[in-house]
Amino acid sequence: MRKILCILMVGILFLLTGCSGNTGNQGKKNGPVTITIWHDKEDAVIAVLQDAVKALEPDIMVAFEKKTGMTESLKLVGNDKNAAPDMYFFAHDKIGVYAEMGILTPITELLGENALAGYVPLTVKGATYKGRLYQVPLYFETLLFMYNKKYIAEKDVPATTEQLYAYMQRKTKYGHYGFVEQHSTPYYAAGWIHGFGGSLINDEGAPCLDSAEAKAALAYHKKFVDYMPGETEYATVNTLFTEGMAHATIAGPWFVPTVRAAGINVGIAPMPIVDETGLPLAPYSGIQGLHVLKVQAAQKRDAIVKVLETLMQPEVSVKLAKVSGCAPAVESCYTLEEVTADPLIMAMKQTAETAIPMPNIPEMDVMWTVAGNLLVNVNMSGQDIEPASAEAQKKALELIEAMK
Amino acid sequence: MKKLVALLICLMMLPILPAMAEEAEMLVVYAKVPADWTWPCVWAWSSDGTNAFAAWPGDQMEPDPANEGWYYIYLPAGMESVIINANDGGIQTDEVKIDKQSAWITVAEDKTAAVSFEAQTTGEVPAYTERYTVYAQVDASWENPGVWAWQHPSGKNAFAPWPGRTMKANANGWYSAKVPAWCNCVIINANGGAVQTADLKDLDPADLWITVAADGAVEVTYDDPTAPKAADITVYAKVPADWANPCLWAWEHPSGTNAFAGWPGEALTAGEDGWYAITVPGWINSVIINANEGSVQTTDLRVDAGKNLYVNVVSAEEATVAYEKPAE
Repeated sequence: MRKILCILMVGILFLLTGCSGNTGNQGKKNGPVTITIWHDKEDAVIAVLQDAVKALEPDIMVAFEKKTGMTESLKLVGNDKNAAPDMYFFAHDKIGVYAEMGILTPITELLGENALAGYVPLTVKGATYKGRLYQVPLYFETLLFMYNKKYIAEKDVPATTEQLYAYMQRKTKYGHYGFVEQHSTPYYAAGWIHGFGGSLINDEGAPCLDSAEAKAALAYHKKFVDYMPGETEYATVNTLFTEGMAHATIAGPWFVPTVRAAGINVGIAPMPIVDETGLPLAPYSGIQGLHVLKVQAAQKRDAIVKVLETLMQPEVSVKLAKVSGCAPAVESCYTLEEVTADPLIMAMKQTAETAIPMPNIPEMDVMWTVAGNLLVNVNMSGQDIEPASAEAQKKALELIEAMK
Repeated sequence: MKKLVALLICLMMLPILPAMAEEAEMLVVYAKVPADWTWPCVWAWSSDGTNAFAAWPGDQMEPDPANEGWYYIYLPAGMESVIINANDGGIQTDEVKIDKQSAWITVAEDKTAAVSFEAQTTGEVPAYTERYTVYAQVDASWENPGVWAWQHPSGKNAFAPWPGRTMKANANGWYSAKVPAWCNCVIINANGGAVQTADLKDLDPADLWITVAADGAVEVTYDDPTAPKAADITVYAKVPADWANPCLWAWEHPSGTNAFAGWPGEALTAGEDGWYAITVPGWINSVIINANEGSVQTTDLRVDAGKNLYVNVVSAEEATVAYEKPAE
């Protein structure tokens, strides 16, 4: 009898609360509404958001839940109203996958067609998939050109790739490097391909590894690779810079605290211009923001809109930028002295004018590996660019086809 | 009368103050030592246990060209005590309290130290200059090597007149001298300047090791060649059955120096016990096992340098590293 009672009680509890994930009330007309937001961010970032939404209490309570393996969890439960969160806070690059799965609500359905008026164009582009907006951007990051002021005076920072090459030829000696980067990692090498007007993949999801632009970039980039260490994994490149063995590098803003802690007097400079094209090296950018799950949007529309509107305030964006080391998504923030006085943020804003948001289309998932192999084959194994590019293009097409 | 004395003291300090004010985060310690105290150094610390330098005997003092017999050094603000030492730390004073102030210390023959907080030297304290160390290992025919350093293109010299600063002989056979960070060119010379290397130009302001042959030919590196080097090691690997012709890719982190010229590295040799093996330089500390012409591979595996390795590859995602042969 006790066992039956226990089973009944567990069953009732299950029905009342939902099995996991979203423990907030679903359709209550009165009383507090709980909005659950999944994220993968550090505590300081979430503290800013939590502080901002306090103003909505007690009518709306916002619960931030840090999730490991969040992107996979969303694939599994994104359509389950008992388990899915109301929103998630993450980079924009999974938008295409989730939109195709039908688990995201376009934010224009909640905030109107002009939802992102006044946002940095780069962030709007990143939030857009197939012409619809799926993210409220909060801040963004771009790779930056960093240099050690001990070795390079501000006036001597290479402004063009040929100046950079000449500098590398002159200063790469005796165990020091003029410039190092993760030359065979697609996230970094993409900047060079973009600087030649190419891309890893186009907006329609077709790979572009054998395009004339990509091949020209690979050939041009190779001469720089010859003045870098053979192995340029993340830790190696970063350590070379923090130990003063490399004069300059390209890295994300997240690297700056480590560099400063190592006692390096670091300078930030604009990306060099490719002499052959007149275009700057244009790195990928990540846009961090809020996405709304379709399965929850209808029932909690009003509360979700209030939370979004609260977190879209420029002052929240500024606070987030400061704790994350990234740049605000809202244009008006760049008129505030606390933002304009921060050279790191302003460098990202400047880079944002030419940076490319990481593709948010599902096909991009296969490109990281294929493009990585191509870069290794060309830069480290010495393969000829023509056959290596053709082979990589073929492989990418096969994998994308298999994905469909 | 007291006011007049105070005013006079202030006026006397005026030439010194500007240079010191620029270095608000630092203080300066001067020392005058007995004639047989060579290459005087300072060891400094504060009462919270913070040391100014990583290891005894601390940092070498610079002679003040305007004050014969006096040496100086800049220390981080907050240093409360120093020891003046010389002869590679073989002779030293007792603790001298400086209480976070610039100080002038006179060391007597009996190693006692008298400290003054009023300037005992004339003229301005030389401005703080970052320095790097030039090390040289010279042919036996090169006696009393020295370093000549200058800035290109201004032509400004660090140590006039020629042949410049005499280098200190160290116990490991290398000579050393500190050079201002604004110098980007050096020459190593010897025999009173009668022999010399060619100009070494466009240098970084970083510690530098120069090996000099009898004819003046040089090998130069920013990597300390006196650091211990590891002997060759053997890397053993077991791989899944469908991993054909396994290879090793190996490198040293953080320099990024590869053990092999190109990917996928060198093939391992199959052993009778099921372990593939290859001998590589002991300085590698990162490896990848790959196979099928590099099309399958492990992740980067960070390992201890100088130790034989046993890498058991279960799959591309799973591999274990041991430094002793695992039990079968």
